[in-house]
Amino acid sequence: MKAETVPGSTGKASPVLPDLRGYFGEFGGRFVSETLMAALYELEHAFRSGWKDPAFKKTFLGMLSNYSGRPTPLYPALSLSKEAGGARIWLKREDLNHTGAHKITNAVGQGLLAARMGKRRLIAETGAGQHGVATATVAARLGFECEIYMGSEDVRRQALNVFRMKLLGAKVNPVELGGRTLKDAISEALRDWSRTVGETHYLLGTAFGPHPFPLMVRTFQSIIGKEARRQFLKAEGVLPDALVACVGGGSNAIGLFHPFIADTKVRMFGVEAGGRSLSPGEHAARFSGGSVGVLQGTRTYVLQNGDGQIENTHSVSAGLDYSAVGPELAYYRETGRIAFDSVGDEEALEAFRTLSRTEGIIPALESSHAIAYALRLAKTMRADQNILVNLSGRGDKDVMEVSRILEEKGEIL
Amino acid sequence: MIAPDKRANRNAPVWKRGVSPPALIPYLVAGDPDLESTRHYLKIAASRGVFAVELGVPFSDPTADGPVIQAAAQRSLRHETAISSLLDWIGSIPREDLPPIYLMTYFNLFHHMGLRAFCEKARATGRIAGVVIPDLSFEDARDYRPVFREFGINLVGFVSPTTDPDRARRIVRESRGFVYYVGLMGTTGAALSITDSARKMVGQLREWTALPVCMGFGVSSGETAQEVLGFADGVIVGSRLVKDERQTDLWEKTFLEFVAARDRAGRLS
Repeated sequence: MKAETVPGSTGKASPVLPDLRGYFGEFGGRFVSETLMAALYELEHAFRSGWKDPAFKKTFLGMLSNYSGRPTPLYPALSLSKEAGGARIWLKREDLNHTGAHKITNAVGQGLLAARMGKRRLIAETGAGQHGVATATVAARLGFECEIYMGSEDVRRQALNVFRMKLLGAKVNPVELGGRTLKDAISEALRDWSRTVGETHYLLGTAFGPHPFPLMVRTFQSIIGKEARRQFLKAEGVLPDALVACVGGGSNAIGLFHPFIADTKVRMFGVEAGGRSLSPGEHAARFSGGSVGVLQGTRTYVLQNGDGQIENTHSVSAGLDYSAVGPELAYYRETGRIAFDSVGDEEALEAFRTLSRTEGIIPALESSHAIAYALRLAKTMRADQNILVNLSGRGDKDVMEVSRILEEKGEIL
Repeated sequence: MIAPDKRANRNAPVWKRGVSPPALIPYLVAGDPDLESTRHYLKIAASRGVFAVELGVPFSDPTADGPVIQAAAQRSLRHETAISSLLDWIGSIPREDLPPIYLMTYFNLFHHMGLRAFCEKARATGRIAGVVIPDLSFEDARDYRPVFREFGINLVGFVSPTTDPDRARRIVRESRGFVYYVGLMGTTGAALSITDSARKMVGQLREWTALPVCMGFGVSSGETAQEVLGFADGVIVGSRLVKDERQTDLWEKTFLEFVAARDRAGRLS
C-alpha cells in the first residue's frame, strides 16, 4: 500500500538525509582520525553500490529470510494490554530473530559488504553482547576471523553471551578502560581499526559513529519498520497511533521509526535508560541530561560534564548503557518528530517480569524499557487505539543478572 | 608552493627550509603528573630551542591514543586540567620560559567551550601558536576552519599512509603551522618502521608546501628521530617522552637524546 492511500499518512516524503557529508541537519559528520577516512569512503562506496545491486539485495534478503527467520511476527499482546488498561499493545517480535535480537540484520548486511570489499577480518564492540554474538555468528557463517571488544563490567553481567561468542569462534577482548562499558569498547574497536584498516571491517552495531554508519545501519534495520507497517495495515487497515522503542545507540528505534516518518499522525517515542536516578553518572538519558557534543565520530547529544569530559553512565541494561545517541535520532528530536522519555532500572525490571508473566515472553532488559513506557502510555489512551512496540531482543542473556538483582533485594522467586 | 598565511599569528614559530634547524616537537600531557612538572618541562624545551611543544589536554575518550598517553591523560584528569583553566595557566608563565605552544586534544573540548570563546581566550594569552585535533577530519573542519583563521590560530593538517595524493594535496593547502605526517597505521606509541612509501610521501608533501612537514607516531629513540629527520623537516616525539613524565631526571635525559639527534641531523643536512 502506498503512503498516500493510508489514513493518517500525509504521504509526504521525508527529506533525503543524511547529506553528502553525513549530516542530519546539524548532527552527524565524520569526526575520526585521517587514518580512518579512506576506509569510511571505501565503505560508503561499497554500501551505495551494494544497495543498488539486485544481486547483493537478493543475498541480503535471502539470508534474513532463510537464516534469521524474517519476517518477524507482529503480535497483539492482549493480556499485557489488559494489564495496562487502555490502548492495545502490539509487539514487533524482533526477539524471534536468529541469535535473539534485531542486531543480526545489520550484522548480515555489513558482513556481506565486508566480503564484497575483500576484507578477511571483522571486529565489533558490544554492550549487552547481542551485537557481539550477531557479529560472531555472521563471521562464522561467512568465514571471517573475528574479534569482539567488550567492557569488562559487561563481560561480567553478560557472561552467557561471552560464552556464545567464544563458541562461535570469536576472540573476546575485555576492555578495562573508563567505565568499562560500551563507550570504552567502541574506543578500543576504533583503535584496532586504525591499526588494521586494510584487512579489517569494523562492524559497528548501531546507528551511530562516523558517516556512513548511521545511514547504513538505519537502511539495513528499516526492514523492521517496513514489515511492521505492512503487517499492521494488513491486520487493522489503519496505522498504529504510536510507536515505542528503547534507545541505546538507536538502531532498533530508527529501524522501526524511519518507514513511518512521513506518517505524521503516528506518534513516536524513544525510551532512554533512566538508570538509578537522573544524577550525573547514574543514568544514560542523553536527551534529559546531555548536551550537543562530539564523541566517537559524530556530533550528537552526549552526556558530558562542565569541562566537556564524557560522563560515565549506568543502566541495568548493558545495551542502553552509553553516553551518546545516534545523530539521526538527535535530528528528529530537534524537529519534534520523535519524543523521548526515560524509564529507570526499577520500572524496567518490573516490566521484564510483567511481560514474562502475562504473555509468556521474556524480554531483553533493553526492550523492557520500551515495554514499561508502553504500559505508561497505554493508560493515557483509548481502548480503540494502538501502540506498536519494538520488542528488540529476548531476555535469555539477562535472566542470571535479574536473578542476582532480585536475590539482592530479597525477592527470590 | 603555498605562501605562508599572511594572518599567521606571531606566537607561531618562524621556520624556513634549508635555513632553520630541523623541527623538534616534543609532546607533553598537561598536568601529568602535575602542572609544576609540565611547567618545568616547558622551560627546558624552550631553552633547547624546540620548534614547538605539542601540549596535550587530557580527554576522557582519546580514541587516537595508545596505552601510554591514555594512562597519562587519566592521571592528569584527576586534577584541574580543563582547557579554559589551562589557558589561564599558560598565560601566567613568563614568555622566556615558554616555547611556541600547539594545544593537542579531541574536538569535543573545543566544541564544548565554544570555538569562538576558545579562540578569543587563546589569542588573549598571546602564547598559543595553534591546535592539533586528531578527530577533526578535513571534511568536518570546513565548518570550523574559518574561525581558527579569523583568530590567527593555526589548525594543523594530518596526512596518513592511507591518504591518497589528491587528498593530501588539499589537506596540505589548508594546513597552517606545520603538516603532521602520521608515520604509522594505528594509535600513538606503536613501533614505527620507516617505509619507502613514507619517505616518498613526505618528499611529495615537501614539494607542495613551505611549512615544515613533521612526522610523528612511534618515534621511540634518538636514532629513529635522526633517521626521520633525514627526509622530513621535523619530528614529533610523543609516547616515548610521556612514558617518562613522572620522573623528572629520566624525562630530561630522554629529551636530551632527542635534542642531540636533532642537532646531529642538522649538521648532516
